[in-house]
Amino acid sequence: MSQDVSLMAHLMRRAGFGATRNELDEYLSDGYEATVDKLLDPGESDHMPDDLIRRYHVDQSELRQLDGAGAYWLYRMLTTSNPLEEKLALFWHGLFATGYAKLNQARALLNQIDMFRKYGFGSFRDLLVELSRDPAMILWLDNNENHKEAINENYGRELLELFSMGIGNYSEDDIKECAKAFTGWTLKNAEYMSVRASKDSIWPYGRIAWHYEYRADDHDSGEKKFLGEVGNFNGEDIVDIIVTQKPTARFLSTRLFQYFASDEVDDDGVQVIKAMMDSYFESGFKVSAVLRTLFNSDYFKSEKCRYSRVKGPVESVVGTARLAGSYQEPTLDVHSLWAQTMFMGQGLLAPPTVEGWHEGVEWIDSGSLVERINFAAKELSDPAKEGVQDIIRRVTAGYIDLIHAENLVDSCLDFMGPIQVGADTREGLIEFAESQGKLHLKNGKTDEDGSAQVARLIGMIASTREYQLA
Amino acid sequence: MVITNTTSIKYLKTIGIVNNGFNGRGFANPYDVAIGPGDNIFVLNRCDPARRNAIRVGVCNLDEEYLYEFGYGFGDGDGQMMLPVAMAFDAEGRLLITDEHTNRITIYSDEGEVLGKWGQKGESEGEFNGPAGIATDSSGTVYICDQRNHRVQKYTADGMFLTQWGSQGTGPGEFNLPWGLGLDAEDNVYVADWRNDRVQKFDSNGHHLKTIGDSGVKQEQLIRPSAVSIDQSGNVYVADWGNERLQVFNSEGKVIASLRGEATLSDWAKDFFESNPDEMETREISDLNPDVPDHLNDPYHISSQTEPFFWGPVSVRIDDNNRLYVVESNRHRIQIYEIE
Repeated sequence: MSQDVSLMAHLMRRAGFGATRNELDEYLSDGYEATVDKLLDPGESDHMPDDLIRRYHVDQSELRQLDGAGAYWLYRMLTTSNPLEEKLALFWHGLFATGYAKLNQARALLNQIDMFRKYGFGSFRDLLVELSRDPAMILWLDNNENHKEAINENYGRELLELFSMGIGNYSEDDIKECAKAFTGWTLKNAEYMSVRASKDSIWPYGRIAWHYEYRADDHDSGEKKFLGEVGNFNGEDIVDIIVTQKPTARFLSTRLFQYFASDEVDDDGVQVIKAMMDSYFESGFKVSAVLRTLFNSDYFKSEKCRYSRVKGPVESVVGTARLAGSYQEPTLDVHSLWAQTMFMGQGLLAPPTVEGWHEGVEWIDSGSLVERINFAAKELSDPAKEGVQDIIRRVTAGYIDLIHAENLVDSCLDFMGPIQVGADTREGLIEFAESQGKLHLKNGKTDEDGSAQVARLIGMIASTREYQLA
Repeated sequence: MVITNTTSIKYLKTIGIVNNGFNGRGFANPYDVAIGPGDNIFVLNRCDPARRNAIRVGVCNLDEEYLYEFGYGFGDGDGQMMLPVAMAFDAEGRLLITDEHTNRITIYSDEGEVLGKWGQKGESEGEFNGPAGIATDSSGTVYICDQRNHRVQKYTADGMFLTQWGSQGTGPGEFNLPWGLGLDAEDNVYVADWRNDRVQKFDSNGHHLKTIGDSGVKQEQLIRPSAVSIDQSGNVYVADWGNERLQVFNSEGKVIASLRGEATLSDWAKDFFESNPDEMETREISDLNPDVPDHLNDPYHISSQTEPFFWGPVSVRIDDNNRLYVVESNRHRIQIYEIE
């Protein structure tokens, strides 16, 4: 197995949703660092066009309900040419967790995801300002109830605790002053939209989408003292102060490290996080600079970093479907794909609380593991899927009439990833392959039974412990 | 009211309210309308996946009396539908409905009895890959857009294949995923050539006569037109789906009117607000025609925030009384205008 291929596959498992061998070959022709640069500055993405989706799926045109909105985002993840754009949007979705349950407004949530795409790579300052203006976030954390005469601290508190600095780095007074600065930041027709959201009202003519509104007459323009600074701060001034704080750099770098590099932070990881913090300040708070430092670090490229994260359910579902080549055009049962993310514990656009999901090994319990394995095995053991056919073609290339079990297993592992498995797992896979009987080829190709035989082995590999790791 | 030199188009009323199930008045992602016996209004409800067992045709009248509904659930059994697209009454008063998933045309009586069906997936004569728009002429001849085969097929009233035209492409007589289809008084055929952003006019045997519109947002342009209908004067009404508007062209192909929609509350909607005064109180202090910020300033987003505007106009039909019906899938309603 080529080290270059193995490293590139590792990068794409983390900075994307895995990659097919065709995609890996393209990335390899650019080289590692150029690929990192391209991932971080992707330009316009190619993906399934909105018009095709909207014509076929009425629910994804109207976006009245959660399932259609989740499926709509999944299409983007499944077909995008810029996987990091979606992977990073998913990171922000987990960090700035905003859920459908309270809002009952799927279009607003997808507009928030669009905002993550637009600002997610750039200045953390701009991202936090846009987040504070985001109508879904405003209603989610009650900033529409944060008035000049009666503040509501909810958004101010979470902005500091969960979104930027982390607990212990500010006072209760800072929270109050922060909340005052964001008074007047609300959404258009806030009173009507709030009533509709609370009643989940779809009447008379479906949902009415939202946008931000600033009400100057409801803003507290008085003097505020925040993190030691004094002024007639508005919300943007507060964000300006937040992003210059060292705890903010540490908070953001650590969260990015845990999402893209390793669930656990060891001593070497601490050093990488320090370098990421330096990049944060040197670049003027640019997220892409922080990620570039991470992806190009020796730590990230090391063997130690590989397979050190449990795939999140969405990563798992999207990665498997992309490998299988599924859902590349509008498909009636795409909603079941979104439902899979719910069954596995990560309902897209439906985080359980503002704290998002508990990640790492907490993704796995007996119920969700069964869902994962069943889904991956079913997708990848289907020889009719284009992606599976491509793996089969590659596996059998170079053989004339017979592939021994050991070679078949190694070759499948190679072209499904490459995926590194332990000796026990490999042994078990070889036993399974042998139990299927010898794989005979005709003129170097499998017949229908032979393809099904290889596909069953591919499905079995998707059931292994190692396949659940990124 | 929109007034041109020869035609005025006057808003009349809106009929509709969201209704997800088989429980009376209201629509669920309506996709087409057909005017049947007694001027009753038949509405095809495509429904979203979670509510797909309520796929149905609902029947009401202009006075907003909800008369009855029929449907057989989601599936490919007799009378059932999966992804219904369009419908039309034939000369014998039978209702023909296309289904782009089952690749079938099903014939119903006006009371919902299943009378027949034809079609299966394929590329040959009499086969479909995503049948969409449908129209019938006075002699019962049926014209159907065969979406993913990029062609129009012509049948007898009982589903006997007569002829076809078109293939995938951008030239005259070629199509890219055609959707809606309408006939004029001379039985010329107008096709909403959806992904080519234009309408093409043919004679009844498929000879190309004219192309209307090209790609864009300006007056004479279209984005993803979904439906087309022709009035008695030869004016062509196009549901400009991607621009969320209705464009009216004269017979020379010049735009004579452009409508964005002006929906008001239907009687059913008024009843809803009588029962929900908290929503009405806050609605009354709201601006439902707001200026939206730049990043949401495209037709789709504007319509998603502007309740009176067309949102998802998937069908436009004209009845014998010169009433114009614009069906909005995303707003679960029909805006009705009078053409004078």
